[in-house]
Amino acid sequence: MKQILTVDDSSSIRQMVSFTLTKAGYQVAEAVDGRDGLAKAGQNKFDLIITDLNMPNMDGIQMITALRKLPSYHFTPILMLTTESQGEKKDEGRKAGATGWIVKPFKADQLIAVLQKLVK
Amino acid sequence: MGIASRPDVPRAIEKAVQELQSLLLDSTEEMNRVGKDFEDLAHRIDAILNLAAGVIGCVEDERVSSILPKVQTMGAAASNFIQERLQSSAGILRIVTTEAKSLAHLSQLTRSQRSIARETQMLSVLTNIEVARLGESGAGFEYLAHQLDDFSQSVAKDTIELSGHTEGRKTEIEETRRMLGIEAPRMREEFTRIETDLRDALAVVDHGLTELSETPARFRSCVEEISGQIAGVVAAVQANDITRQQLEHVCTALGLISDEIRDGDGDAPEAGCSLPRISAGLAIQIYQLKSIRATVDDWVSQIRSCMGGILKISSSEVKGIGPVVLDQERDLAQQLARIEAIEQECQANTAKVEKTFAALSTLMQLVSEHLEKSRSVRDRLQVLTFNSIIEASRLGTQADAILEISQSIKRISALWSEMTEQSGKVEEEILSLVEQARNGSGGAAQAGNDGLQEAQVEAKAGLDNLRAAAAFASRQALEIESRIGELQTQIAAAGSTGDRLDACFAQIDTVLREIEELRSQFESDSTGALDSREQADVEARLSPFYTTEIEREVMRAALCGAPLPVAQQIMAGNDVELF
Repeated sequence: MKQILTVDDSSSIRQMVSFTLTKAGYQVAEAVDGRDGLAKAGQNKFDLIITDLNMPNMDGIQMITALRKLPSYHFTPILMLTTESQGEKKDEGRKAGATGWIVKPFKADQLIAVLQKLVK
Repeated sequence: MGIASRPDVPRAIEKAVQELQSLLLDSTEEMNRVGKDFEDLAHRIDAILNLAAGVIGCVEDERVSSILPKVQTMGAAASNFIQERLQSSAGILRIVTTEAKSLAHLSQLTRSQRSIARETQMLSVLTNIEVARLGESGAGFEYLAHQLDDFSQSVAKDTIELSGHTEGRKTEIEETRRMLGIEAPRMREEFTRIETDLRDALAVVDHGLTELSETPARFRSCVEEISGQIAGVVAAVQANDITRQQLEHVCTALGLISDEIRDGDGDAPEAGCSLPRISAGLAIQIYQLKSIRATVDDWVSQIRSCMGGILKISSSEVKGIGPVVLDQERDLAQQLARIEAIEQECQANTAKVEKTFAALSTLMQLVSEHLEKSRSVRDRLQVLTFNSIIEASRLGTQADAILEISQSIKRISALWSEMTEQSGKVEEEILSLVEQARNGSGGAAQAGNDGLQEAQVEAKAGLDNLRAAAAFASRQALEIESRIGELQTQIAAAGSTGDRLDACFAQIDTVLREIEELRSQFESDSTGALDSREQADVEARLSPFYTTEIEREVMRAALCGAPLPVAQQIMAGNDVELF
């Protein structure tokens, strides 16, 4: 079963991501901020990471930058799930190594379709 | 004392911030509960849908889905069967009338043959007398006398027998003609009624089974609708997170405004804080709170509506799946029984008809036998004629009487030949009638009957499969109903969650009134409008922490006094953009 990590300081967002992806047959782990996400990614190998942008302790961009330095996460798909829609922010995310960008709220069936494409 | 100098003003703002923070805590707790309740509900829905899918699996199974074509085949076979019966009932009167004529002709022939038999008997007596008179010279003729005697007895016996049967058959056929004259129109009406009843029964079955065959598509449509409703709840719960951020930003902004009032204007502390700046800052927060309120109303109402939608679909469409199967099984069983009864009625009506045709075959057999014998008699008569003439010639003038007898035998022989020929024609006529009868209600009808029985067997096998599916559906339906009952309770509880959320967020209205009151006081104390530098200042100070486009749009609208932007419809959710 494919492993997904969802990183967000909002429990309701983590809950909805987990609910949606578990129904689709994925195993989902949760992290409460960028630091927690980095730690968990170090302990387990995840097939895809979904992360918020604005989080306390370590934001999403910082976490992605750090993850891309790890050999096991050079090519792992990382999606940003955020309220931000500004072009500069998206550029920042892309440069840090994000694979894609979703403005909250996500469309459940669309998210699953993208995961099926990215995680085989 | 100007408003900006009053110590209660920052305190009022700080109080508003505390109220908003308390609202944030309460709403977060409430939303966590909503999230958990919703997950539980989604699992229950899955379980219910799996039960219903089991029923759909039965319906889609080839053994059940093939019932409709089988019933249609049976219906066509039954309809043909009845049509054949209708046609045969039309032909029967014709056949019977023709048979009556043939019998009349046959009757006449047998009477003639009986008269010949009597004549032959007389000839036999005369021959015996002559043989006695001739004495020894008539010895050669003695055997002829025996022949004639023997012959006449045998012919008499045969013709009496046939005559008896023919007369009996005539009486019977007259009775049949009389009965059919009355019955045939009634039978035609009956068959027409039977055909109408059959058509009605098949229409009911057709409608029912078509509805059954549409059930899988309806179920899939339900599944899709429920998925849509679930997606709606997922999106609405996420929207709460956006609202939370916006409220936090309002709290941050109000804190900055409160600090500015306390500390005065940093650039010109001696001048005090700028009233237009404070007023603009408060106006932005008022706009943000109104926008947040509208968004909250939307997603709370979406949660309510989607939960209600899930319940409605489950308790009507999904719940109804099992009963549809049960209803169709019951209806199909009823209609098949009705069709069977119709067919039996049809068979009973034709039994009388077939009895007539059976007797026709018996008569045919009798006539054939008689004809056989008649031919044999004809041959014997010819031989007798020949022998009698030879003997008469041999005896010469002594046997004038014998000669006359032989002439009579010759005449009788000729007559008999002619009658035999006519009997042959009658036999052919009756044979033709038998063939017509067989075609009308024999072979072809038997084939139709076999076809119908075969179709009925297939339809009944289909019904047995449907019964098994119905039994399964019945068990599933009970389980579905019980689980929907639990779902109803849960959704009712979720409904009260919506009320609690409403009460929670109603606090926004309180804060809004307080901030509006403060702003109007700043407005009335303010002497000038916000200049562009100050406007840029306000933007730079109060917007860096904004994380959504709507917040920026609302701020711009507040600063230029434009109407509040309508929050874009994000309830359906956004697509993924891949880099």
